[in-house]
Amino acid sequence: MLQLRRVITIWILAPACLASAALAQSLEDRVTVHRMKNGLTVIFAERHSAPTFSAIYGFKVGAVDEVAGITGTAHLFEHMAFKGTPKIGTSDFEQEKTILAQSNAVGRALSLELLKGDVADQVKVKSLKEQLLALDKEQKKFIVKDEIDVIYSGAGGVGLNASTGNDATQYYISLPSNRFELFCLVESERLKNAVLREFYTERTVVQEERKQTTEANPARMLYESFMGAAFLAHPYGHPVIGWASDINSVTLEEATAFKKKYYTPNNCVITIAGDITPAKAIPMMEKYFGDWTAGDPPPVVRTTEPKQLGERRVKYEAQAEPQIIMGFHKPAFPSRDDAVMTVIATLLTSGRSSILYTDLIKQKQMAASVNAMAGIPGARYDNMFVLTAAPRHPNTNEQLEKAILAHLDTLKTRPVDAKDLQKVKNNLEASQIRAMRSNMGLAMTLMRYQLLFGDWKLYLTMKDMVASVTPQEIMEAAQKYFTPENMTVGTLIKKSK
Amino acid sequence: MKAIRLLLILAVLVSVVASFGLAQKHPRELAEPAPLAFKPVKPVEFTLANGITVFFLEDRELPLVTINGFLRGGSLYEPQEKAGLAGLVGTVLRSGGTALMNGDAMDAELEFLAATVETGGGTEFMTVSTNCLKKDLTRVTEILASVLRSPAFAQEKIDLAKNQMKEGIRRRWDQPAQGAGMLFAEQVYGETAYGRRVTYKTLNAITRDNLIAFHKKHYVPGNLFLAVSGDLSKEEANALLTKAFDGWKGEKIDLPDVPSLTEKSDGTVYYAYKETPQANVVLGHLGVRRNNPDEITLEVMNDIFGGGGFTARLMKEIRSNRGLTYGIYGGVFEGKDRGVFRIASQLKADKSVEAVALVKEMIKDLQTNPVTEEELALSKKSLANSFVFRFDAKERIPGMYLQMKLEGYPVDYYDTYLERLKKVTREDILAAAKKYMDLEKMIVVVVGDEKKFDKPLTTLGAVKAIDYQKVAEADRAE
Repeated sequence: MLQLRRVITIWILAPACLASAALAQSLEDRVTVHRMKNGLTVIFAERHSAPTFSAIYGFKVGAVDEVAGITGTAHLFEHMAFKGTPKIGTSDFEQEKTILAQSNAVGRALSLELLKGDVADQVKVKSLKEQLLALDKEQKKFIVKDEIDVIYSGAGGVGLNASTGNDATQYYISLPSNRFELFCLVESERLKNAVLREFYTERTVVQEERKQTTEANPARMLYESFMGAAFLAHPYGHPVIGWASDINSVTLEEATAFKKKYYTPNNCVITIAGDITPAKAIPMMEKYFGDWTAGDPPPVVRTTEPKQLGERRVKYEAQAEPQIIMGFHKPAFPSRDDAVMTVIATLLTSGRSSILYTDLIKQKQMAASVNAMAGIPGARYDNMFVLTAAPRHPNTNEQLEKAILAHLDTLKTRPVDAKDLQKVKNNLEASQIRAMRSNMGLAMTLMRYQLLFGDWKLYLTMKDMVASVTPQEIMEAAQKYFTPENMTVGTLIKKSK
Repeated sequence: MKAIRLLLILAVLVSVVASFGLAQKHPRELAEPAPLAFKPVKPVEFTLANGITVFFLEDRELPLVTINGFLRGGSLYEPQEKAGLAGLVGTVLRSGGTALMNGDAMDAELEFLAATVETGGGTEFMTVSTNCLKKDLTRVTEILASVLRSPAFAQEKIDLAKNQMKEGIRRRWDQPAQGAGMLFAEQVYGETAYGRRVTYKTLNAITRDNLIAFHKKHYVPGNLFLAVSGDLSKEEANALLTKAFDGWKGEKIDLPDVPSLTEKSDGTVYYAYKETPQANVVLGHLGVRRNNPDEITLEVMNDIFGGGGFTARLMKEIRSNRGLTYGIYGGVFEGKDRGVFRIASQLKADKSVEAVALVKEMIKDLQTNPVTEEELALSKKSLANSFVFRFDAKERIPGMYLQMKLEGYPVDYYDTYLERLKKVTREDILAAAKKYMDLEKMIVVVVGDEKKFDKPLTTLGAVKAIDYQKVAEADRAE
């Protein structure tokens, strides 16, 4: 039986290898990398199928670079990057500037006073709030609301947005291809000359964002508790959005200092995918981004997570149906074990023929959902293999945990089928072809590998590593990482009324 | 203390001023670029001998093929007491396998090929979507055809799908914003396919015979519309589909008329208590029938008022100016019958009633004063210049045209779009706002904890309480 499978596997493997070589070739043909003197890396991926392009740029700074007290700053700053410059977003910057400085000082004083909690001087708080309101009103006379949005919108731009993660912060826009110079002007202007206006109003927006996306979302609240328990020391343990207390108190000065440290050309990768020809675009990029001043290399995260020496459990109670999350520490890309764990995650829950989907959802019908991920929450530092699942009533978290652990144990002793490994490889090949269907998807992938690991081609290396994982390696990794002392479990317990 | 503050101010001034690089141009000073060389790509349409309609577009960029399909029929045509039937057919059609291949074997084979054949059931249409590598196209199309033609509706997969849907019903009230949306739909649409919810009871009432009968009626070649794109020629597509659907017969079907929706919104404020940090608000009433003369006006109006990201009034005022929410979106939307006028937001609890009152004032203003010249110009520029993005992914184009056809839009809809857009005036928008938004009838659904709100909800109108917990529990009563 096993031999027959191997024969089939080899027969299928041949065309897959061909496809892989073709993919690498077709990507390399499309990609041009340009490095500027100030350290900025620009990657072009040419696709001339429609007269549009997508641009994404990322900074290697995320929640992992934050320390206690200023969690959420990377994300809050990302919001502030849309507030304009001395040219954009204002009708008269000379006049606005003075009010802005006063209002920032009052805002800071108010934040500091409020931080005193119960002993805060209420008279002072009231007076500062009034001053802030008056200054805001004065400043509004000069503010041209969300002008970056207005400019791009009028030019036909779509998907203007940004996101912050544990590892990086990235900014997106797609435009018709005749607007490349506009892109260069707007982005170089806000990267070189951002004005952080309306900071304290935006901070309240982020407070509401936290409530909406985290506090009202049981799965996210469980995840937050779980990560806090899984990481004792390393900043991967705190939420990207930040703790409520920190969002409420972070000051403009702290956000500005954060920006200065990390928003430098040498810490940035810009990727342009679509109908843009590098030979014409590079001089344009040089014209606009060439005088952006390089900064010091950003600080590295000093803390390493100590080895976990025993099982950790955390409970979160809410008016919601039960869920469970389980995690195991593991090394990050490009370690060999990262590739092995990626294959394990795929085998376990990717698709309806995967191991856990088949057994827990289709056969035993214990679970409503089950999902495994190999690189949570980021890839810059050692991370976790994480499984999330929701039991199907009346099954419980405990029953589901037991069933999942039984499968993890099986992986330690029984080699996986060659055909199942082949399936993983086939899907990897296809997903990489599919990634090229969208300018933004392509831009994001190339940007991410270049920014986090220093070379976009590691995207292809990753694929080769995953494709070469063996059944023996899977058993060894399962034995090494799926141990009780390396496990953290979080459960959402339904609160009795 | 004072001195320290002064120092701080100075420090801030210095840091603000010092951080600017060389002054650049304002973007408006850039020369207007050369016009975009762009003409919308169109699919070709052909019909197979047995009546299947095909919209096709060749796309050789990558070795992939996409086949998406629609069939008329959906939850609009299922009996009230069997709500969920169309959805269940949509799921089990694929998961239940065929006479020749069970669902699990199909999962295994398709996933090995990194291919997808997925089926679903919507309100008005049943759907199918397929994507595969070119090398596997023949086999995947065979599977696709067999799923549509001869599903087995295996009882065990019906049970599985019902169990999964029931678990979804248990969990759907966990998130308050979703809960508010369901309560809003129920109030605005009543006991219709748009307003009712699938419950344990309606699922229990559905039998395998119901699924078989639903399939027999709707899944016939005369009712199948396919959108095909990718790495193949029209001739190849024709031959492939002809072969896969060879011998399948069935004329175009007649669907019964669905009773028209009637406006029952009466200005009531519905309040459902849930322990949650914000006020989850949905407000509105019925909307507008699709493909009507005001359609382009409404598109511009929505863009200016509530739909166009940060350039829209709602986002600008409620989020950007006041910091009362992370997001607020809305507008008057089209539907087969009436569509919906709907604005939704999760609002800062201790300013939430004030925010809702403000939204109402903003609606009133839109009905009283024409939008500004600048707003209209920006919106038109934005919609015209971003038009190209509707056509930037070839795999989406055949389906886009097909859907327009099925929904009754004129064939030249996209050809005339830019011309129609140009003609929209401020007066048109004012008239549309008056015609399609009614502050008196508009209902407001609020899920949250009124104790945290700034004012009593009664300041917004007559309040009716809904027991969130009871509604959730009733959905799962066997």
